[in-house]
Amino acid sequence: MTAVALASTTLRRGAGYWLAGYRAMLRFDLASSRSWLVTFVLVQMLMGAGMAIIYGFYLGDLPPAAATFLATGAPTLAVMPLGMALLPSLIASRKIEQTYDFMWSLPVPRTATAASSFTLFTLLAIPGVAVSLAVAGWRYDLDLRVSLWIVPAVLLASLMSASVGFGIGHAVPDPGVINVITNLLIFVVLMFSPIAFPIGNFPGWLAALHRVLPFWHMANVIRAALTEGLVESAWRSYLVLGAWTVGTWLLAAWAIRRRR
Amino acid sequence: MIALTPPTRLRSGSGYWWHSYRMMVRWELTGLRLVLPVTVMVQILTGAGFVLALGLFFGQVPPRAALFVSTGVLVLTLVTIGLVLGPQLVAQQKAEQTYDFLWSLPVPRTTAALAWVTTNFILGLPGMLVALGVALLRYDLDLHVSPAVVPAVLLTLLTGTMIGYALAHALGNPMLIAAITQLTIFVILGFSPINFPADQLPGWLAALHRWLPLAPMADTVRAGLTVGVVEGVARSYLVLGAWAAASVAVTAAVLRRRG
Repeated sequence: MTAVALASTTLRRGAGYWLAGYRAMLRFDLASSRSWLVTFVLVQMLMGAGMAIIYGFYLGDLPPAAATFLATGAPTLAVMPLGMALLPSLIASRKIEQTYDFMWSLPVPRTATAASSFTLFTLLAIPGVAVSLAVAGWRYDLDLRVSLWIVPAVLLASLMSASVGFGIGHAVPDPGVINVITNLLIFVVLMFSPIAFPIGNFPGWLAALHRVLPFWHMANVIRAALTEGLVESAWRSYLVLGAWTVGTWLLAAWAIRRRR
Repeated sequence: MIALTPPTRLRSGSGYWWHSYRMMVRWELTGLRLVLPVTVMVQILTGAGFVLALGLFFGQVPPRAALFVSTGVLVLTLVTIGLVLGPQLVAQQKAEQTYDFLWSLPVPRTTAALAWVTTNFILGLPGMLVALGVALLRYDLDLHVSPAVVPAVLLTLLTGTMIGYALAHALGNPMLIAAITQLTIFVILGFSPINFPADQLPGWLAALHRWLPLAPMADTVRAGLTVGVVEGVARSYLVLGAWAAASVAVTAAVLRRRG
């Protein structure tokens, strides 16, 4: 009896235990992603490639510079809804279905659960980025110069977006409120964000706000990796995205350490 | 036994119909009281939002684009409730199994349908007026309101509501209804020549829209608000009228059915 108790006590800590928990949660999340993977791909296609095409309908005839700007916004539009809308609404639906507490009762460190969510949502964004960029490039007949910076740009944008979504999903208790927030986010991003349009078109106060919010910076780092001369000082955008990521991790840490 | 005669006489005739209609409008509005403020707010926000967002899309908004979006959002606010919210409410009733109860109410079924059209009008009107007001403030619009806007708005509202109604009542599966309405909103906002001229769509899509109801809705309403922008409005009325008649016929067939 004592041997068993001692063995399990020693096992449930340390880097090895954390890694085992992380791997188990990754498998758990991947397996449960079956049910929403189709929605996931559809949302990415509609928001990324679809919106890039739709904006074109609204604008009519586009000069090549404007078309390049619009098409290089497509990957950002594809990344953003996954982390910021789909992830919080998955968490909200767990709260509605009352399986939320069960998730936290699993015998893994909570940081491993969080790390698994971030990994999955960061990596699953990549195919959508590629597809929406290809569709937008084809639609506007663009000749894009993809640099290696695309890798850190997409990874950071998508990690930041997943972190914000994770923070909202866990910090806001009421699932109804979570869904209102995510719908509002989508609305603001699609209609009032300088992702597919130059920030110079925006009135001063809104442009100033967008220098603090993450949306414009997401578009900036991705656009900087795809074009030359369209984006100035992308490093500042990397810093802002990094700050949002760390900030929402702190928020999430506070939310998931709470015990009721 | 003799006492049974008066109710039998009461349950027919135009007086009974009118009374039932008023009851059903009250029923709909009361049933919606929880979602009503949110719905009207969303209508106002999206209507005004589209008008204002266009200024961010363009640096300098071309007058033609401003005119199209300002008149197009009226159509959006008129039809989204009928085409999107309506079917979702019916799908919800089917999912919650209160659908059959509604049809057991002692009113003629035509009053239920017309009460829903009336409710849509009441819900759509504030958003429509606010969108138009915001557009007038934001852009220097060349609007010429003619009496033709009245039949255009009424026919658009009737057609939009009746298409949604026919869809919701004819289809059994609530999930299918939800999927179709999600797709509909995307098509309405992004792939229909409502907020922008049809010549900005690819040729095949513009050709398809000549036979779908959405473009004719925008054309008829726009023709009532502007001069020289819309051509061939008679054809639009014909296409729209055909859709209205077809959706009313489908609705009538579905409503007459007894389960």
